[in-house]
Amino acid sequence: MNMNDTYMPTIIGFLCNWCSYTGADLAGTARMKIPASLRVVRVMCSGRIDPLFVLKGFLKGADGIMMMGCHPGDCHYQKGNYNARRRFVMLQNIFESLGLEKERIGLWWVSASEAPKYAQVTKEFAEKVKELGPNPLREEIFL
Amino acid sequence: MNGQIGVYICECGPNIKDRIDIDKVIEDISSLGDVKTVKRFPLLCSNDGKKFLEEEIKKEDLSHLVVAACSPREHEKTFMDVCEQADFNPYLFQLINIREHCAWMISDKNEATAKAIKYIRAGIRRVALHRPLEKKEIESIPDVLVIGGGVSGLEASLSLAGKDRRVYLVEKTGSLGGMAKKLSQLLPNQGSNLSLIDEKVEQVHNNENILVSTSSTVGDVRGFLGNFEIVIHTDGETSGFRKAQVGAIVVATGFDVFDPEENSQYGYGIDNVFTAQEFEEQIKSGNVLLKSGKPPESVAIIHCVGRKERGYCSKVCCCYSIKFAHYLKDNLSNVNVSELYVDLCLPHKSDQEYFEEAKKKGVHFVRSEEEINVNQKGDQIEVEYHSEGKTDSIVVDMVVLAPAMIPSGDTPELAHLLNIPLDKSGFFKEIHEVLDPISTPIEGIYIAGCATGPKNIPESIVQSQAASGKILSSLIPGEKIVPEVKVSEIREEFCTGCQTCLSVCFYGAIRFDSFKGISVVNEAICRGCGSCVGSCPSGAIRSKHFTYPQLYREILEALR
Ligand SMILES: Cc1cc2nc3c(=O)[nH]c(=O)nc-3n(C[C@H](O)[C@H](O)[C@H](O)COP(=O)(O)OP(=O)(O)OC[C@H]3O[C@@H](n4cnc5c(N)ncnc54)[C@H](O)[C@@H]3O)c2cc1C
Ligand code: SF4
Ligand code: SF4
Ligand code: FES
Repeated sequence: MNMNDTYMPTIIGFLCNWCSYTGADLAGTARMKIPASLRVVRVMCSGRIDPLFVLKGFLKGADGIMMMGCHPGDCHYQKGNYNARRRFVMLQNIFESLGLEKERIGLWWVSASEAPKYAQVTKEFAEKVKELGPNPLREEIFL
Repeated sequence: MNGQIGVYICECGPNIKDRIDIDKVIEDISSLGDVKTVKRFPLLCSNDGKKFLEEEIKKEDLSHLVVAACSPREHEKTFMDVCEQADFNPYLFQLINIREHCAWMISDKNEATAKAIKYIRAGIRRVALHRPLEKKEIESIPDVLVIGGGVSGLEASLSLAGKDRRVYLVEKTGSLGGMAKKLSQLLPNQGSNLSLIDEKVEQVHNNENILVSTSSTVGDVRGFLGNFEIVIHTDGETSGFRKAQVGAIVVATGFDVFDPEENSQYGYGIDNVFTAQEFEEQIKSGNVLLKSGKPPESVAIIHCVGRKERGYCSKVCCCYSIKFAHYLKDNLSNVNVSELYVDLCLPHKSDQEYFEEAKKKGVHFVRSEEEINVNQKGDQIEVEYHSEGKTDSIVVDMVVLAPAMIPSGDTPELAHLLNIPLDKSGFFKEIHEVLDPISTPIEGIYIAGCATGPKNIPESIVQSQAASGKILSSLIPGEKIVPEVKVSEIREEFCTGCQTCLSVCFYGAIRFDSFKGISVVNEAICRGCGSCVGSCPSGAIRSKHFTYPQLYREILEALR
């Protein structure tokens, strides 16, 4: 597996519009450095993050997938993030039973003011994924 | 598809221009299929920029529009308005955030440019799958249901009726006025005069626009902003039920008080230990007397009863306790009055002076810890308290307990009926305590007064006026309301009728049509969160503007 320094993982981040996306915007406004490998997909609520998106994204070669929503109790639609949490737990189980690396997916609560947290978790996650190396499925699919 | 996609890149002054190689972006994406034109502009959100875009949409006869600029949180609305100006469906447009998420986040210009290209490509691919969405307009009913006839409910009813709205005022007990009507007098800084409350009750009864139902409760509520169907149940002589339609609801069900019997330390049940409400009634009747029929020679007023158990301060008790002390000093000669408090809460501008005056009249203020024990001692009562590590006690003829304000008894049932949340103390929960303290997550349902937590009368009134203002400005007779456009829909042909989605939707927007055996989204209630979509085992639900193909396209482009 290619683990050298030039390897740049591809990470997809699903961000809810009201908290996490706003927090990410703020990180930009504050000129915080965010890994270039992260691609953000905006959804209205973390409850819209269909487990299929995560699975498909992974099967199509994403090296890591981040789910982000408002803190519990703060969801703009009241309970969407609880759905996200349940689905995340389910996804972890699916990953485990299929023998996939469940460290490649994660869920975080990031509020509209938590730009530093956004910068920190994206950086840490990108480093971790880099350590894990490329998604093994990627080669299968692209070869 | 034979699209005619127009892509416009904003320089955003130096913000994007200096950090992203825009020419390179243009070169890269110009070659993409379906892209009709790619242009750059110095500042698209300026008046010149908006005019330029509007002309471009028409001149280039675009099928879809992509703007690569700042965050959709900042200017999505701006550019959607431009689309409308150009007679172009605003849902055929996509804003790509290359400022916050590329230019400002990535220091290396090449990396930032590469990322911007990825995002714009994804946007172009996504927008090609956009379909025009149409706004719907629905009739709204300007009438209002007010639940609870305390000062808050009275004020809301009068404000709304003053603007010719029909108001259904529903009060659980046999009369209007709530707690305020039971008080002996208001605080001196409030003019003391309780006839103000009586006047409000009078005005409500005499107002033709207000239909008062006492001894009544709300039995059923269905619907959404502008179109609620309600049922009012009335007990007693005029028992029965009445159906009505309203556009909005104000919940003003006030509070109850902590029951001091819950904790034996307060000695409630011992002769001559009274609650504040009982004491208010005594003052009102003009007879503050002991069980023996004699006036008390010494009184201890205990603040913060239940504060520890409930975990919050009730805000009004210190002031009315001082009111009691003044009353006693002014009306009973040689009476000894002690106030035992944990913390003094004197929030309003004249409260401090009122407190100083009480001290001048000889009222003893004793700071105590929450651990207070009230016990019978002969004909008298012993109050044991702890202060600065020492235990002390006083013996008095009478004790008055100032109990915490707690949520009114039916709050949980009403919350369930209206589908609105409660906070951790059991009061109705505001959307935002600071920024939106009278709204609930359900559009058209407002909360005011002590229903959301302890408040004094002026604070309760202000909230009712605010709720009335919101209603008067959002439900205008003859004006239609436009619900959210990006809602979810269930495709009949895929739905198996399993009803999984019903339990996922917080807003109760999905209903089961038992005749057809499928579930249906009420688009007027749906807020478009998309939570239901992932729950459907048949993939029958489509979240408009965030459809599976649209988002999947974005994901695939991200992975290229
Ligand atoms: C002892 C005491 C002294 C006080 N003294 C002062 C003072 O001097 N100055 C001051 O500013 N404030 C004072 N307050 C606070 C004041 O009482 C409140 O601010 C005020 O009553 C709040 O009005 P409200 O309408 O929100 O609630 P409430 O007065 O509690 O009115 C709520 C009404 O809703 C009705 N209701 C409840 N549930 C339902 C239901 N499910 N359906 C229909 N109706 C329902 C109730 O029967 C009641 O009539 C005092 C409070 C106490 C306890
Ligand atoms: S979850 Fe899907 S299949 Fe089941 S009732 Fe809802 S829309 Fe129909
Ligand atoms: S999108 Fe959200 S609000 Fe609309 S029906 Fe689905 S769960 Fe309910
Ligand atoms: S809106 Fe942020 S998680 Fe629901």
